[in-house]
Amino acid sequence: MREASLLRRPLTRIALAVALATGACTGAAAADAPARPNREIKDPYYGDALFHFFQDHYFTSVTTLMASQHFGRVSRHDEESEILRGGMLLSYGLTRESGQIFARLIESTSPKVRDRAWFFLAKIRYQRGYLPEAENALAQVEDQLPEGLQEERILLQANLLMAHGDFNAAAEVLNGMSLKASSSRYARYNLGVALLKLDGTPRSIARGMSILDDVGRMPAENEEFRSLRDRANVALGFTALTEGDPKTARGYLERVRLKSLQSNKALLGFGWAADSLKDPKLALVPWLELAGRDVGDSAALEARIAVPYAYTKLGAYGQALDRYNTAIAAFEQESKALRESIAALRSPKWIDTMIDANPGDEMGWFWRLGDLPDVPHAAHLSQVLAQHEFQEAFKNYRDLRFLAKNLDDWKNKLGIFDAMLATRKKAFAERLPPVQARAGDTGIELLGKRRDTVAEQVARGEQAGDGVAFADAREHDLLQRVNGLRAAVDAPGADAEVTALRDRVRLAGGLLTWQLAQKQTDRFWALQKELQRIDAELAEVKRRDAELVAAQKEEPARFDRFGQRIAALTPLLDVMIPRVAALGREQQRAVQDIAVAQLTRQQERLADYTTQARFAVAQLYDRAYATKEPERAPARP
Amino acid sequence: MLLHPLRLSLAALLIAAAPSAIGQATSAPAAAAPTPAASAPAMALAPAGAASAPPLAATLDGRVQDVKSDVIKLNRDLLVLEEELLFPANTQVAVFVSMDVGRMFELDSVQVKLDDKVVAAYLYTPLEVQALHRGGVQRVWLGNLKTGDHELVAYFTGKGPHDRDYKRGATVKFDKGTEAKYIELRIKDSMGKLQPEFDVKLWQ
Repeated sequence: MREASLLRRPLTRIALAVALATGACTGAAAADAPARPNREIKDPYYGDALFHFFQDHYFTSVTTLMASQHFGRVSRHDEESEILRGGMLLSYGLTRESGQIFARLIESTSPKVRDRAWFFLAKIRYQRGYLPEAENALAQVEDQLPEGLQEERILLQANLLMAHGDFNAAAEVLNGMSLKASSSRYARYNLGVALLKLDGTPRSIARGMSILDDVGRMPAENEEFRSLRDRANVALGFTALTEGDPKTARGYLERVRLKSLQSNKALLGFGWAADSLKDPKLALVPWLELAGRDVGDSAALEARIAVPYAYTKLGAYGQALDRYNTAIAAFEQESKALRESIAALRSPKWIDTMIDANPGDEMGWFWRLGDLPDVPHAAHLSQVLAQHEFQEAFKNYRDLRFLAKNLDDWKNKLGIFDAMLATRKKAFAERLPPVQARAGDTGIELLGKRRDTVAEQVARGEQAGDGVAFADAREHDLLQRVNGLRAAVDAPGADAEVTALRDRVRLAGGLLTWQLAQKQTDRFWALQKELQRIDAELAEVKRRDAELVAAQKEEPARFDRFGQRIAALTPLLDVMIPRVAALGREQQRAVQDIAVAQLTRQQERLADYTTQARFAVAQLYDRAYATKEPERAPARP
Repeated sequence: MLLHPLRLSLAALLIAAAPSAIGQATSAPAAAAPTPAASAPAMALAPAGAASAPPLAATLDGRVQDVKSDVIKLNRDLLVLEEELLFPANTQVAVFVSMDVGRMFELDSVQVKLDDKVVAAYLYTPLEVQALHRGGVQRVWLGNLKTGDHELVAYFTGKGPHDRDYKRGATVKFDKGTEAKYIELRIKDSMGKLQPEFDVKLWQ
């Protein structure tokens, strides 16, 4: 679990880094007025992957991108696609796969791509614990990183130095970063805290406090940064208290907002600072406020016995006793509530109820818990949910549920594909004979004869050049009649009446010849066009025939190939589904264990405080007894 | 003299409150005050998988990562199979929507007609519009068409300049060959006319 808990924030950042690395318009620009995307989309399917990516649908984005890469339709964004894919896989914690991708990309001819690949490789190696290799990769980065990644690079460098224990160098590196950058603030906080924990020497503590003081004073424009500032000030306050400087501690703790996640701790520390300054009356002010708050919080719990402790110091023993007794009663009640909560958390039902009440689109990192499930003491669950370890485990469980559903959907789809394929096969087998019959009856022979006739007509007409070859039936009839008449009038021995018609026959024949000659060009063009049409039709019929012949061979083979692929994928799904289900059950138990462990720790704290309270009550009774003892003594004989 | 009963608890609180406060107990539910940066300090403090840690693959977390990787690859194979089976390249037509700047037009919905038949009608969420603004390209329809001539008509509705309701169409006639056809419906800004423009790009 620890590994996962270390990844969460960087994963969030990786998503941004990926967007930066791929040159897509990112973050702030999107939140504000529309801004022109700074990258031309050369393959629409690359844009499609970005469309899902920008909606935080990373699973869809990476899987569709991989499918598009398979089809070779993002080739004009080849390297950007790989950066996007590598980044998304890295964000899912798949360091091996993403490492392989970036290792390939360092061979790129583009310095920009190379720099990004080295940067991500450094990040992966750092996450996997290969520090020298990470440093080596980071050293290969030249100056072609985009601005956003440049910041990440400095942060990574600082983290590597911190991992080596070189805190001074890390501080120097971080000083080069703007405090405005979110990552820079967290890194500074880390550095400060690391120095406080380092060796306990005054130098380290002073350095750590100085760095935390910067964070504790920074202007904070949102709740996230205000909360970080509060944390820094609480850390400073308690460190000052440990160092025996309660006055300074008060100054730090005063900076913490009264209504914030850290206010309970600050109020508790504020009281202890006053106590260290020998002013229990002053200590009572924050502690009384804190004691009225929910006992689910450990600081509020401690305040319940800190208040009577202060009363004791003020000599108000009666009030102290009452307060201790009230605290013990409250602790017992809270202990009972905790037992009930633990019993409820041991049932897996609440986890599923919580998921059902907070549905998310996909597997991913930006999903947040909204509604709490209906459990006996919801405040206890709030404490559990706020734990990072729990959130990571719960996210994994939710991801596994998403994967289980995804695989189930595919299982159903594969069944449908199989049925569809069977239907297609059947339909093909049924349609083939009539199609074959029709293919035999395409009239290709008639069409061929017709083509020969037209071609012959064209050739003949072209050769004769008199248009007679193109004459229609009526004209042929007229030609025959004119020829008959011509023969009659020219016949020897024809009587004078017939001979008188010779000129009229010559005129009619001439007119017909003239008309045929006039129409010859149009008719020749029309026949040529007809010839082309017949040729095209013949080609189409032949193509269809060829396709049909090919289909008769290829379609069954194609169906078989699809069938084989479905048959190959089905067992993979059959293996994967129970594997995911088993992991889901295991993860569910892990989630429950984390939740129960958290409440058990709270129970132990409660038991400890109860013991302390009982001990204090006993001391108060002892004191009262000791005070009364001298009064009784003279009465003895 | 009353003993100080709280020394130990204070020490414990100091440890909890100072170095590892982030990512540790907080009193509010995550929903009320999400702490997205919760693990950043932990990341910095314990950056590299410690040598003593069990191999990742042996841990539950490692096995979850492995299964995620396997399911992603399987999904890729299944998507490829689905597309080849349902939308073979020789009949495939994909229609995309993209937005270049989009200052002049606030997209609400798109309707796509192919050969006078509505094939897609899509209502956009603000997140989807934002994704388009950022350079995403939405595949709004994927289907099959016979080879030959076809006509696509797309209607865009939304808010135009001065917050006025706006509906515009774009038409394209195209020839579907034996290769997959990609058609991109583009929403652009015409700064000269101070109006949105809608055009269609046929990808080769």
